[in-house]
Amino acid sequence: MSPPPDRPEPDEYAAAATIPPPDPPVRVPLRFEDWITVLTIGALAVITMANVIVRYLTDESFAWTEEISIFLLIVLTMSAGASAFVRNLHIRIELYADGGPTIRQRRLAILAHGITLAFFVILTILLGRMALDEYNWGDTSPAIGVPTWWYSMWLPVLSAAIALRIAGLLRRRLQEPA
Amino acid sequence: MIPWLLFILFVGLMIIGVPVGVALGAAGTLAIALANPETHWFGLMAVSQSFYAGLAKYPLLAIPMFVLVGSIFDRSGVAARLVRLAVAITGHGPGMLAVVAIGVAMFLGGISGSGPACAAAVGAVMIGAMNRAGYPPAYSASVVAAGAATDILIPPSIAFIVYSILVPQASVPALFAAGMVPGILAGIGLIIPAVWLARRSGMGAQARAEPRPPFWRSLYEALWGLAAPVIILGGMRMGYFTPTEAAVVAVFYGLFIGMVVHRTMTVRDLFPILREAGELSAVIMLVVTLAGIFAWSLSTLSIIDPITQAIVHSGLGEHGVLALLILLLIVLGMFLDGISIFLIFVPLVLPIAQAFNWDVVWFGVLLTLMVAVGQFTPPIAVNLMVSCRIANVPIESTVRWVLWLVGGMLCALALVILFPQTALWLPHYLGY
Repeated sequence: MSPPPDRPEPDEYAAAATIPPPDPPVRVPLRFEDWITVLTIGALAVITMANVIVRYLTDESFAWTEEISIFLLIVLTMSAGASAFVRNLHIRIELYADGGPTIRQRRLAILAHGITLAFFVILTILLGRMALDEYNWGDTSPAIGVPTWWYSMWLPVLSAAIALRIAGLLRRRLQEPA
Repeated sequence: MIPWLLFILFVGLMIIGVPVGVALGAAGTLAIALANPETHWFGLMAVSQSFYAGLAKYPLLAIPMFVLVGSIFDRSGVAARLVRLAVAITGHGPGMLAVVAIGVAMFLGGISGSGPACAAAVGAVMIGAMNRAGYPPAYSASVVAAGAATDILIPPSIAFIVYSILVPQASVPALFAAGMVPGILAGIGLIIPAVWLARRSGMGAQARAEPRPPFWRSLYEALWGLAAPVIILGGMRMGYFTPTEAAVVAVFYGLFIGMVVHRTMTVRDLFPILREAGELSAVIMLVVTLAGIFAWSLSTLSIIDPITQAIVHSGLGEHGVLALLILLLIVLGMFLDGISIFLIFVPLVLPIAQAFNWDVVWFGVLLTLMVAVGQFTPPIAVNLMVSCRIANVPIESTVRWVLWLVGGMLCALALVILFPQTALWLPHYLGY
């Protein structure tokens, strides 16, 4: 089918809505997380679609893809979650924290980033401990039969990446002229 | 003592601007550590385990896939063609463009599952057209935001998927079917005040002279978009796909329309689309899993039961408690987004619903309706933020219009409360 001759014109309002705001200044480019995000969500769509097609063609289903999909889901959440912290996309109440005098805003931001950083540092340690336990127990995964620590070892790594991103946010706030 | 600390810490962290998920996780972690002073590692291994268990769930996959459907249809050019078809049907009478905006938003609700994505797609097309026709931008932004709020009621809906993860007794297909009629009622509840406001102020006069688009050609061009909900909802109804699979099929169908049929997208656009969808889903899923830590500490501190007992035996009666819950949720809906409200409050209020023997599917529809109202009630309203950014007006300027629309949707809410069959008839009829 050919494209309709009088395609609706993209108007200036549409343009205003689709151009994302520029990224904040960071030392390690966000492209790093962005590529992981794009590749994992793309892979999730392709794997699930392939599963549908294969099921209709051969009456079989790949149970093992479910295990891979769950792992990719975790990677997606934590990698895109890290860049979302830098781009300030996470859901938060901005009414009090981002309004009022600049000095208060800065103090609250430093406090909030500090608490978030502390939480992810603790989470990294706990996830590391969990991965170590799984390594010591030597369990294997139900569908594919690989050691479970192959999956769980990435959790502390990704959690540490989030913690580093938040440390970067905190550092930029602290270096701002007060 | 520890339960109080849990809630006070959570609220305090939220006020100083800590993201909702982190506030839930941090408060839950501290409460677990304080409750287990003598245990190995203060019982904190439960934190990493519930974080992992909260993410390692196959049903969660529906969230990124439906978010991706929204991002793709947002840019597929479907909205613009649906608008032409709708104008060909309604003409340019006073207030008719508002009907078109709400109608197209409801129809897109049958494709995508999130309000802000729908507000962006409809707003990008409608707000410019409505400005040229002489509608005030603040009015257009209000109408688009309110229309897009029906999106989380009309299936498919991300809100229902999250509710079903929290309440496994309510299946996704049953919730989807139950949202249909209340979603249409909510749309009608918006159209009536929108048209009345437009007629009262004589809006849209400039467009009267414009020619109507030809009906049959508009229908032909809109066919690809019109077929999308048939594929998604029909495929699920006929048992061809699970909800997640239906979303993935819609993803590839949307890419085909956008890249091959309408040619509004190129391969280069894939990167920003996938990135945006990935980040939006990560924001949702991170709150889902961190709320798991909070829920774990609530259940181990055994504080839900006494609260439930106190509320159920408070003498307010079934309707008093329901009225109180609605009031509470509408106030919270002004400050928090819908998914966070679900994650925080469903574990708390579900025991109350069960004590009164409320139907869990009906209750889910009710909660979603309240969340939908919150999506366009100022000051904090996700849909209104999107549409106001497109219309380039401050959120405050919409108040005089949007409150009428809020009133209209609250009437739909009242109908669903008084007549539970409005929600439950369709899932019963379909046999879910």
